[in-house]
Order: sequence, then structure tokens, then C-alpha cells
Amino acid sequence: MSDLSGERVTLTAGGRLLLDGIDVAVRAGSVTALIGPNGAGKSTLLRALAALEAPASGTVRFGTVDAATLSGVRRARIAALVEQDANTDLDLRVEDVVALGRLPHEGVWGGPLKERERIVEESLDAVGMSGFRGRRVPSLSGGERQRVLLAKALAQRTPLLLLDEPTNHLDIAAQLSTLGLLRRLAAGGATVLAALHDLGLAAAFADDVVVLAGGRVAASGPVASTLTPELIRDVYDVDAVILPHPTSGRPVLALDLPEIAGAEREGSR
Amino acid sequence: MHLRLAFPLLPLTAVAVLAGCASPGAGAAPTPPATTAAAAVAVDNCGTPVTFPAAPSRVLTIKSTSTEMLLALGLGDRIVGTAFQDGPLPENLAADGASLVSVADQVPTEEAVLGLEPDLVYAGWESNFSADGAGERDELQSLGIATYVSPAACKEPEYKPKKLTWDSIFGEIREVGDIFRVPEQAEKVVAAQQAELATVAPDAEGRTALWWSSGDDTPYVGAGTGAPQLILDTLGLTNIAGDVQDTWTPLGWESIVAADPDVIVLVDASWNTADSKIATLQTDPATKNLSAVKNSRYLLVPFPASEAGVRSADATVDLAAQLADLS
Amino acid sequence: MTATEEAAGPGVTGATRALAALRGSRLTLAGVGLLGVVLLGASIAVAVTIGPADIGVGEVFRSLSSHLGIGSTPLSALRDGIVWELRLPRLLTAAAVGAGLALSGAVMQAITRNALADPYLLGLSSGASLGAVAVLLLGVGLLLPVAAFLGAMLALLATLALARSAGAITPARTVLAGVAVSSLAAAITSLVIFWTATGDSYREILGWLLGSLAGARWPAVAIAVVALAVVGVPLLAGARVLDAFAFGDTSAAALGVNVPGVRWTLLGGTALLTGAMVSVSGSIGFVGLVLPHAVRLLTGPGHRALLPLSALAGAIFLVWADTAARSLFDPRELPVGVVTAILGAPVFALLLARRTRT
Repeated sequence: MSDLSGERVTLTAGGRLLLDGIDVAVRAGSVTALIGPNGAGKSTLLRALAALEAPASGTVRFGTVDAATLSGVRRARIAALVEQDANTDLDLRVEDVVALGRLPHEGVWGGPLKERERIVEESLDAVGMSGFRGRRVPSLSGGERQRVLLAKALAQRTPLLLLDEPTNHLDIAAQLSTLGLLRRLAAGGATVLAALHDLGLAAAFADDVVVLAGGRVAASGPVASTLTPELIRDVYDVDAVILPHPTSGRPVLALDLPEIAGAEREGSR
Repeated sequence: MHLRLAFPLLPLTAVAVLAGCASPGAGAAPTPPATTAAAAVAVDNCGTPVTFPAAPSRVLTIKSTSTEMLLALGLGDRIVGTAFQDGPLPENLAADGASLVSVADQVPTEEAVLGLEPDLVYAGWESNFSADGAGERDELQSLGIATYVSPAACKEPEYKPKKLTWDSIFGEIREVGDIFRVPEQAEKVVAAQQAELATVAPDAEGRTALWWSSGDDTPYVGAGTGAPQLILDTLGLTNIAGDVQDTWTPLGWESIVAADPDVIVLVDASWNTADSKIATLQTDPATKNLSAVKNSRYLLVPFPASEAGVRSADATVDLAAQLADLS
Repeated sequence: MTATEEAAGPGVTGATRALAALRGSRLTLAGVGLLGVVLLGASIAVAVTIGPADIGVGEVFRSLSSHLGIGSTPLSALRDGIVWELRLPRLLTAAAVGAGLALSGAVMQAITRNALADPYLLGLSSGASLGAVAVLLLGVGLLLPVAAFLGAMLALLATLALARSAGAITPARTVLAGVAVSSLAAAITSLVIFWTATGDSYREILGWLLGSLAGARWPAVAIAVVALAVVGVPLLAGARVLDAFAFGDTSAAALGVNVPGVRWTLLGGTALLTGAMVSVSGSIGFVGLVLPHAVRLLTGPGHRALLPLSALAGAIFLVWADTAARSLFDPRELPVGVVTAILGAPVFALLLARRTRT
């Protein structure tokens, strides 16, 4: 029931066509990577699929339900969005930010305090930030802030999770642990759609991939069959080879760097 | 006709006559200057030296006090225009002033002033002379237009009367008489006013009074140094705001209720009538129990008579009659 | 429970947990709130004994108790009037107006994500003054608070439109637009007063433009308190929603907030509240700007604490500001807006300086 899909989603802003008849389906229990060059419309598509931006035409469905028919609160109980580089100049504490994730579940006067405390704790724990509860958000590094925002989305306890570049600003260990978390959530039945600019991470972690270019879907499907060297050349205009990982067998992306490749060949001569 | 051009300016030193308010702070009468037809009259008016080589013949009066002063001295024919009149003329001057032309309801602009080609602008308030009003005094004088402010309204510390006296008012009457070369007429007016005032018997009961000029939320009242204080003193009434060293002052209702004045003097102005003040006093739960309100002990004074001038004596006599009629 | 926690002993862990539970909880908020209510009550109780009239503390409380039906020897009608008809309604109006303005300021700062937002700086107060003066002097057939609300709302719309006309709405541009709108409204207010009145009407202009509580009687109390209850309490309910705006509109929408709906409802609420307050007090400046910032230093930016405590702090502040205005230069009175400006303008300057540094 918790699939996420878009049918012929078209979205314009200021007369510019940003999304052009997007058809996309994200399976429940899987991680789908949304990839594509800068300006392909990844962030816009995430907002549209989270039903935060109304498309000019087309339908977004949470399971079988037309998302446009949902109230804001019900929508926020089903889908959570982690924005890219969201920031605040308010001197909020980390735990207060994470507690905001409970807003759709509580009334304006607040809900059961114990439950909120527990969920905030668990969410911070899940992103490895339990030690930061009392810290002020403006004092955090970019990566720490990114993880707090992820914890806020987790606190929403939604079956659908949409993330815009969740590994931005993270060091390699934090990137892997964040993506590991997403995999565990999917294993628990969640539907995860993450925009990633790192093709290597996308290839290594995602089940499926949606490739966006110029506001259209260039390709979509399981990573292994979709992310081919031909597609990467078409979309990104770079050469790459895809190898199986020596132990896991998952696809590993190796980029062909023209200058270095040329130099190597010269040197070996 | 421009008389000021017909007479060459005499040197200031010739017969410079210093008027009474030249001695700082004194509300004393000016020494009568020895005037001859050819002698210039020089005065120190609120700190501005003004020389009158001859009697002004084209006068613009601003505020009622200046208009009434000239009419009382029989100089109505010298007035080419009036401005910013505070209310109708008193009965005894109404006939003389019937033909006067008002050029502006408020302070006239400098252009309007120059357009009249006056040789004197006579203002009731010092603030009437300002760049956004009738023009700065220096500028007008450099254009050959003399300026004069009622000395009781001087604002500079050395010129502002520490406490207005009848002599200060008579001083202005005499000074204007000298400027217009009608000293005998001035003396007649002063003598008449002195006689009038002599008839006023101080209140036997020594009652307290509030002089309410305007303002509803915070009343604006007559304080301890101006015409209201002088008139109340003459009437034998104690001003509840008499301790405030100013002509007027905003006074909170709490102070008024706490003082519970025996008598309330209500200034009747077209924009804030005595009737509306009485209505306020009777309906406001805080003031309806004032003894003056419960016993309707009100004295009425028209706004133009509430400022120091030639009408102050008449106003005092009128108020004394009203006071005598009170229970 | 970890080994270290066990080693520290059950007492310590218990205390740590209790502290953790207390932190930012409704309990501490309730505690601080209660303290604020007590302070406000005490402020009014002390301020009611202060004034140009020499009335003893005992007399004041005799007057109050006789009116509250606790029965005791009444004072003379006049002395009783000073306490019950002048001082008390004025203090209660000051408290309600202070609470309303501070609450409006806190809400506006959140909703516009602008630390410099305040009903005075964004022109609402001047617009409300103009509305009120239009009713009083031009005989526009509207209820006074309604006209003040319309004036405030129009001024707010004009400010936001002006701020947006040159591109994105930035705090600096919004304040500049507010200054422009506010000056225009103040100029028209002055014009209306000059046009319809003569003599010394400039003092009435000052009353409206600087704010004064000198005319506050029981009807003013009714208007201010009812507005605070009807508009202010629902605004308090918006506190958590305002927190959701911390990371921007999209982030708020992702949490289920109806962004345009909430924004206009809350801005309309602040205009309504400001309008009602200005209709009884004229436009008193800086309360809405300074108090929320002062409270934020104590509570942090979470609106659940910030909104009610700003309201309480605003009430206490204006009670004392007005007490100073009516008794500092006894028996003369200052417009209370002069006092709030003297205290508030330096804080505003400080805020500006801090903004430019970051």
C-alpha cells in the first residue's frame, strides 16, 4: 500500500517547464535513487512527489490514494521530506527541531510528552546524534545539521521518506551509515526515494534508480539493468565502466577520466 | 503706499529707546520713550532688535491678541489683514473690526505675508515666525518688514516673563502705543483697565480653581506663570496647577481629581467647546463626583481672552461677575 | 541502563532523568508562566498605589476590596474614583495592550522570519491609528476597533506588497517598506487632525502617534481584554506551528502546515490584535519588537514558551512604562510611547548591530 508513484506529472514555474510528464513508481520496501545532472529537476520532483508542490497536470499517489486529496496533516503522516541544505537562523535546540517531526501527530497544544521524548530519542539515535540533543542548531556543522534534519523526518514516522541529497556535507563514514539507515528502513517496509548526485553511492546502495534529465525520465528500473555505461554517457556525457563488487556482487561504478587515462597509456608505452 | 521708503533710516543710536521688556525677566512697564515725529522707536522684542522709523501703516496681525490690541488702541485702519484668529472679536471691538479681512485661518505662509506688502507683522506667538509659518523674523526684517511678538509670549529664557503681571500687559499696551505714535491712547486704555480691575474683589472664600484649556485624555491647563495664573490671582482663586513653572501644562486627571478644585474655568473654543468639556466632566466616572461638577461651579472664558493681552482685564472682570453669581 | 549510570547510583540517574524530562517541557513553561502571572499581579498591585495623588496603600486596597465585594469602609467618592476609575482601568489596559503588542511582535517575527518585525516598524500601528482617527474625526461609520483593524491590515498589506515589489522579501527591505508605509499613515493621520481641528490639536496628534494610556477607562479595558482573549489566545495555539516555520515554508509544509493559510490567519490575527490595542492606546512603539527578543534570551526561540511569556513580559513592561509616564514628572504626564521609545530604541539599535555582524 505504501508505494509512491507519479503519473504524467508536469510542473511549470514562471512559464518554465520544470517537469515534463514524469512517470515514476517507487516500490514499498525498497530504496530508489533519483539521479541526474544539475538542474535536471530532482528537487522539484521530490517536492512534487511529497505533494508539497501541486503539479500543473498529472497525479501523485501515496499507495492508491491521490495525494492531492489529502489534508496537510494526513499527508505529513504519510510522507516526510528531508530538504537539501535547509537552515535556520533561529537558535533552536537539536531536540526541539527533531520534536517538530511530531507536529502532524499532535494537536496545537502538544501531545503525550513521554511518547514525544521517546521518539525524539530514538530518531536521534538512529542518525547517530544522541549526544547532540541539547546543542543549538546554528552551532552544528553542515553534516551534523543534515543528520538532525533526517532525524526530524524520522520522527514523523512516515511510511514514505523522500530525501534530497541526504549525504551532502557528510564524511564518508557518515555517508555510509546514513545510507545503511535508509536500507534498514526499507527493509522494515518503508518506501525510500533519495536524490543522490554521487552515482557510485547510488549504484552501491539503491535497489532501483530513476534517471532524470531535462525534466524528463531518461530511464528507470533496477540499478543493475538501468545504470549502464551507455546511459551514463548519454545523460552525463562521461565515460564509465560498471564492475561487479568482488565480495557483494553489487554494481560498482568506475569513471573513466580522459586526462589520467591518456597519461597512463603514454607512461606504459 | 510705502511709508518706510519715504523716511530715511535714522542711525540706531539717534533716539534708541529701549522698551520695558528689554531688562531681562522684568515684567515691568516700559519707560515711556520721548517720541517726536522724526525720532525712530527701537525696541528689543523677545531678543530681536526692531526699529520703527515711523508708525507702521500696513500691519498684518496673527492671532486674536494682536488684532484686538490694535483695535483697542484705535488703530484698526492700519490693519491690512488678519490671520489665525482664535474666535470672534469681543463686543466692544466688533464694530471697529467688522471690515477686517482674514487672509488665513491658520498661520499664513511667508508668500501670503509678502503678498500683503505689510510694514509690520504683529504676532501673538513667537512660533508664528518660522520658515514654515509666516517666515523667520530676520528674513522678514531684511525685506523691510518689521516684526513684533506680544512680549508676554516671548520664549527665550531671558525674555519669557518669570511670572506675568498686569504691568507686563500694560507694558505691551504702552510699547505698541509708542510704536504707533499714539502714547496718549495707550495711557487711556491702561488707565481704563486699571480702573476696571480695581473693582474686582478677591474671592472671599479663597477657593481653588482649575483652568482647563483643551485636551480630553490629558487636560491642558493654565499653569503658574501666564495669563491664567494672573487672572486667577486677581480673582483670589488658587490655581491647582500653580506650582508648575510654565504658562500651560498637561495635567493628568488623577492630579485634578486629587486636588478637587472648587471652581473650574472652562475655555470655550470652537474646536473644544465649554459644553463638550462639561459633558465630559459629568459623564466620566472619575470626574463626575468633583465638587465643582456636582455643584456646576463653572466659569466660562472665550479662548481669545485666555491669552495675555488687551482683553485680559475685561476677561477678569467678566469672570469675577460669574464667580459672584456662583452659589 | 548502562554500567556507568548504575555505578553513579539510582539517585543520580533519577535526578538526571527528571532534569531531562523537565528541559523545555510544559512543566518548566508552566512554572515560568506562573511566576510571570504572579509578577504581573504584583506589578499591578504595586503600581496602583503609585501616582500623583497622595493615596495610602491601605486606602487603595480598601477601594479595591469594596468594589470586589469583599466589603469594607468605602473611601470618599473622589479618592475611590482615582483608584477605581483612573488608576486601575489604566493599569489593566496597559497590561492588556502590552501583552497584545508583544504577542503580535513575536508572531510577526516568526511568520516573516524577520527578527526586526514588529507592529510598529511594519506600519500596522500607524495604519491602525489612521483608522481610529478616521472614525473619531471624519465620522467614518465603523466601530473604532474595527476601523483600527482595517487600517492595520491595509498597512500590513501595503508593507508586504512594497517589500515584495523589488524582488525577494528580505528583513531589511520589509523594515524599509514598513517605514515608508508608517510615515505615510502618520502623515495622513496628522493631516486629518489638522484638517478637522484647530488650536492646539498637535497634542492629540502626539497622543495617537506616540501612544498614550491617559484616556483609558473601563470601556478601554473591555476592548483590550476581549481582543486579547478572542485573538491572543488562538494566536498562542499557533506556537508549535510557528516553530515549524524555522526551516522555511517548504519545511513547514512538509510537516503538514497549510503555509499560506496559517501565514494569513496569523498575520490577520496580529493586525486584529494591534488594531484593537491601538484603538485604545494610540501607536505605542517598540513593545512588540523588544520584549520578544528579551524573552528569547531567557527561553530560546521555541514559540511554545516564547509566545505566552512575551505576552506576560509585555504586560509587565507596559504597566511599569505607563506608571513611569504618569508619575515621573508629576503632575505632568508623558505620552507612554516616549518612555517605550527611550527604552526600546537602543535595543533596536543593538539588534541591528548584531544582525550586521552575523
